Amino acid sequence: MGGLPLRERVPFGRWGPLGVAVDPATWRAVPYLLGGVALGVGYFVGLVVAISVSVTLVVIWVGLPMLVLTILLWRGAAMLERRLVGWSFGVAVLSPYRPRPERGFWAHLGWLFQDPATWRDLGYLLLLLPLSLAEFTVVVMGLGLALGLFLSPVPIVLSGEWLELWGLRIDTVPKALPVMLLGLVLLVPALYAVRGLAWLHGAVARLLLGVDETRLLAARADQLRASRARGVDAAEAERRRIERDLHDGAQQRLLAVALDLGRAQAKLDADPETARDLLASAHAGTKAAIAEIRDLARGIYPAILTDRGLDAALSSLAARAPVRVDVTVEIADRPPAAVESIAYFVVAEALNNMAKHSGASQALVRVRREEETVVVEVSDNGVGGAGAVPGGGLAGLADRAATIDGVVQVHSPPGEGTRIRVELPCSW
Amino acid sequence: MRVVIAEDSVLLREGLTRLLADGGVTTVAAVGDGPALVAAVAEHEPDLAVVDVRMPPSHTDEGLRAALAVRAARPGFPILVLSQYVEERYATELIGGDASAVGYLLKERVADVAEFLDAVRRVAAGGTVIDPDVVVQLLGRRRVPTERLTGREREVLGLMAEGRSNAAVAARLVISEGAVEKHISAIFLKLGLEPTPDDHRRVLAVLAFLGHPA
Repeated sequence: MGGLPLRERVPFGRWGPLGVAVDPATWRAVPYLLGGVALGVGYFVGLVVAISVSVTLVVIWVGLPMLVLTILLWRGAAMLERRLVGWSFGVAVLSPYRPRPERGFWAHLGWLFQDPATWRDLGYLLLLLPLSLAEFTVVVMGLGLALGLFLSPVPIVLSGEWLELWGLRIDTVPKALPVMLLGLVLLVPALYAVRGLAWLHGAVARLLLGVDETRLLAARADQLRASRARGVDAAEAERRRIERDLHDGAQQRLLAVALDLGRAQAKLDADPETARDLLASAHAGTKAAIAEIRDLARGIYPAILTDRGLDAALSSLAARAPVRVDVTVEIADRPPAAVESIAYFVVAEALNNMAKHSGASQALVRVRREEETVVVEVSDNGVGGAGAVPGGGLAGLADRAATIDGVVQVHSPPGEGTRIRVELPCSW
Repeated sequence: MRVVIAEDSVLLREGLTRLLADGGVTTVAAVGDGPALVAAVAEHEPDLAVVDVRMPPSHTDEGLRAALAVRAARPGFPILVLSQYVEERYATELIGGDASAVGYLLKERVADVAEFLDAVRRVAAGGTVIDPDVVVQLLGRRRVPTERLTGREREVLGLMAEGRSNAAVAARLVISEGAVEKHISAIFLKLGLEPTPDDHRRVLAVLAFLGHPA
């Protein structure tokens, strides 16, 4: 049960007092509960002094850099606390800071001062003094008394000293046995106190040092809303593209065929020579229309992908590419249809772009499964410099991938070829 | 006869040009978008313009808007609009207040060479040509009052809405012109329309009746 966070086992554990006593998590919490008071005092004194000095000196400007330094230091201390608390109490405390701005002095100042996490850090560090004092007191008294009583025979045996309890003189080992027993009994509440304090401290740390869950959820909701909107737009754009392809392609071709046939019919008797030419033209036009519809249908959804999966579909795609494309697909079980489809179209778009713009002479397609994620990589040896232009095919696919929490990355430095990596989760 | 063609598909532009040539119609200009149509009409002063609804750059109703612009600048200029889809809205917009010298046909009608050439000539001569599918759509919308018509009267109404003359209706239905006239009077009476001798004013009345539900 080592992987379970402590708060799920606290305060009583699964196997009663004995379980608590043998659980390493109990003993891992003890050093921090005892030593934390030194940190608590240190933070408190340091912060009170540094803050009051800097705030006083703000009037002559020196205070501002000092204050900034102080903030940086306390954020550093908070990072240390996250690690200590995480290790000691088995709670994962995620770093809540906003991403650092790329440039700009004021942007950096705002980043430090406006992030609520900065001030929650300060709150935690100041609160650590009373909290750690209480923890220290409880643990020292509880564990100290229990262990002291339990170990009472040791001084008697070693140096012949004796101790007096409730007016009883205990100077021999047999007399000390009940005392040992008492120590053992008292150890139980002491250990529970340790577990309780560890749980309490972990909760406080998560609350003040961790990520604000409400904001996390709100951010997630925003992200989902945006990805849904992009997904809907991508689907709409796709439908318009299909309509357009049909209208400009096959429909016009068939119209031209009908026109040829109509003219041929009219000329059949008067001008059979021209009529024959028109029939030939209509024949050719029909075949071209069939080819166009076939390509269009494959562009909407390739039948082979449904029938035989990614390996077959990507191999067929590679075979139609103008340059050499090596395909390796390492997937034992077929992923969901949406994953297969997005993976297929990302590769199709990538190969299409490669043929059009990159001047590459060969390309590599690799698809593999990493646990619950399908990873697709397409790389070529072309000129690079590709990017996901908004409204472009690749951007549309990135939007589609985003609807299932997938990520499309394009790495294409000029002169070094293009690498596209797509991660598609199999459940969302 | 001299015409201007506005059609963005090169394939069809060529086909149309040849088809019209077969019928003795000269194509003086073949253009691929709306503004070019307006310019070509101004430049060549043709007898008729054949216009595709959907053209670049917007690929929506570019051609229809260009046709309306041409008609606004030259009232009564004959225009035959070809559309990939049956849209009664397009037809009513195009006809507006004046049904003379206007045609609205589905694109595939060009395959019926003789009929298409006939439509071209009728529009150029100031007549009205409305695609049968549009008429069906319009008739379908006004089910209640047309239910009072007999089957034959409904057929006559449809052909009338397509812009056919009495003679053409008579020929199509294989009845005498006198019989057609009798049917038409009955229809006008039942629908409460003013009888009018003029072909395209009659079309307008019928279309207005069909196009605007009571």
